Amino acid sequence: MIALIAAEWSRLTGTRLWLWGLLAALGSGAFTGLLALIGPENFTPPMPGLDTAEGVHVMLGLLGFTMFIPALLGTAAVTTEHRHRTITTTALFAPRRWTWLVAKLLTYTGSGLAYGLIACTVAAGALFSASALKGVALGLPTSTVLALLARIALAMAVYTLLGAAVGAILRNQAAALVTVGAYLYMIETVLMLIPGVKAVYPYLPGGATAALTGFTYLADAIAGQTGTSATTLLSAPLGAAVLLAYALIATAIAVAAPLRRDIT
Amino acid sequence: MSVEARGLTKAFGPVSAVTDLTFQAIPGTVTGFLGPNGAGKTTTMRMMLGLVAPTSGTATIDGKRYADLARPSATVGAVLDGSGFHPAHTALRHLRIYSRMGGYGKARALRVAELTGVSAFADRATRTLSTGMRQRLNLATALLGDPHVLLLDEPGNGLDPEGISWMRTFLRDLAAEGRTILISSHVLGEIEQTADHVVVIRQGRLIATGPISELYGRTAVRVRSPQADRLRAHLTVPTEVLGPDTLRIHDMTTAQVATAAADRGIALHEITPERPTLERAFLDLTGGHR
Repeated sequence: MIALIAAEWSRLTGTRLWLWGLLAALGSGAFTGLLALIGPENFTPPMPGLDTAEGVHVMLGLLGFTMFIPALLGTAAVTTEHRHRTITTTALFAPRRWTWLVAKLLTYTGSGLAYGLIACTVAAGALFSASALKGVALGLPTSTVLALLARIALAMAVYTLLGAAVGAILRNQAAALVTVGAYLYMIETVLMLIPGVKAVYPYLPGGATAALTGFTYLADAIAGQTGTSATTLLSAPLGAAVLLAYALIATAIAVAAPLRRDIT
Repeated sequence: MSVEARGLTKAFGPVSAVTDLTFQAIPGTVTGFLGPNGAGKTTTMRMMLGLVAPTSGTATIDGKRYADLARPSATVGAVLDGSGFHPAHTALRHLRIYSRMGGYGKARALRVAELTGVSAFADRATRTLSTGMRQRLNLATALLGDPHVLLLDEPGNGLDPEGISWMRTFLRDLAAEGRTILISSHVLGEIEQTADHVVVIRQGRLIATGPISELYGRTAVRVRSPQADRLRAHLTVPTEVLGPDTLRIHDMTTAQVATAAADRGIALHEITPERPTLERAFLDLTGGHR
């Protein structure tokens, strides 16, 4: 397994994908910082300032919004083997297919965690610098901010795993990227507009993530627009459990699905 | 270590790709696996490597299924039609990744690169490689585990004459070391000088197997005579009219033909023994041309 993970790491670092990942991580962290510097109170429409708890939640929520990036990177990394037809050689060198799938998912979850830690460290630095520069105290205690950032970093690792698992199941790179991207960006939000389906939102990946990271702005905004009551999210630990369950189910399917498939 | 197919059958839905195929490739020889495009060669090879699950029958290497081998990539090396490389990886990176997967280390990747001539373009991204370079890189990958068995699916595809000649010598040397080599092709000429044995399939079924020399079949005699029609009328063996004064006479030696002509006072302007080309035997067998 160590040899397979080392090989997978070598495969990842042999392309520019890791560089794009690093840039995206730094960029999304820095972007949060930039927005903090501008200040949520100056947004259109204006939002609560950094000195309020809501304002800090908005900033962190915006960082959480970039979670589709590591998910897509995970999808791209796993499907590249099918796109470039190296899958045959891989299956020959490790005929027990679950071994290299598990190696891949572990490698990319690790990379996703690294991505999350980089993005959140940069965001933390930027957030605290912005508050110092503007001379306002953040609306949440430092320890709470750091804890929320750590949860976001973990959630990013889980999203990378989810993206990678969907890629392993669908195999077609373009189709997998569109599926993951469309789901995270559009479908979940649209689902929330449907009154009946809204009830299950807390149990969808986006709802569970919102519970984990304490970002309810999106749910509240939609509730406000549609004039319905806001969806009650799960508690943070339950949100984490639901998210983890998704990751495990996706992993199980991703590992089990190709076992009997012909590689032609 | 021999490679064996027994009653190997694969159906993709209602389409049978391979039907009840039984043959063997033995150590120290190069076995040519012949058939027209779409005959089921690739599917057969993929079944031998556990990539495609047979509908029925077995494909074994040294008596075991590929996935059950203790060290699969150290036992069998394969070059498969349609396997690729990540375009951004260098040739050496590709070898290193699989060397790691197989547990063979960095030095082995460099060694196979040297053996196959990949060293000359080791640091180039695979997207810039020519077809010939890609075939060498495929072969290098297959050799990482120093396998006893090589399964090569159309390794000559896209090679220039120099590359084909290199590949031929390279494979002969590997077989001389006692390895079992199964090499598929739809172009007979490509493996005519490399293979000792041949297995010929058509529409997924075995139609001939044995030493390559047996495939040549009957000899014939080509005769040119101003009285070709008269000569033909006197013969009881099958003949073909190749031109107004030229015949191909089957099942007779040159001496028998000359005597038959002399006995009847027929002048012969040319008499040539014809060994049918393997290409022709192959086409006859596979029904590609009559």
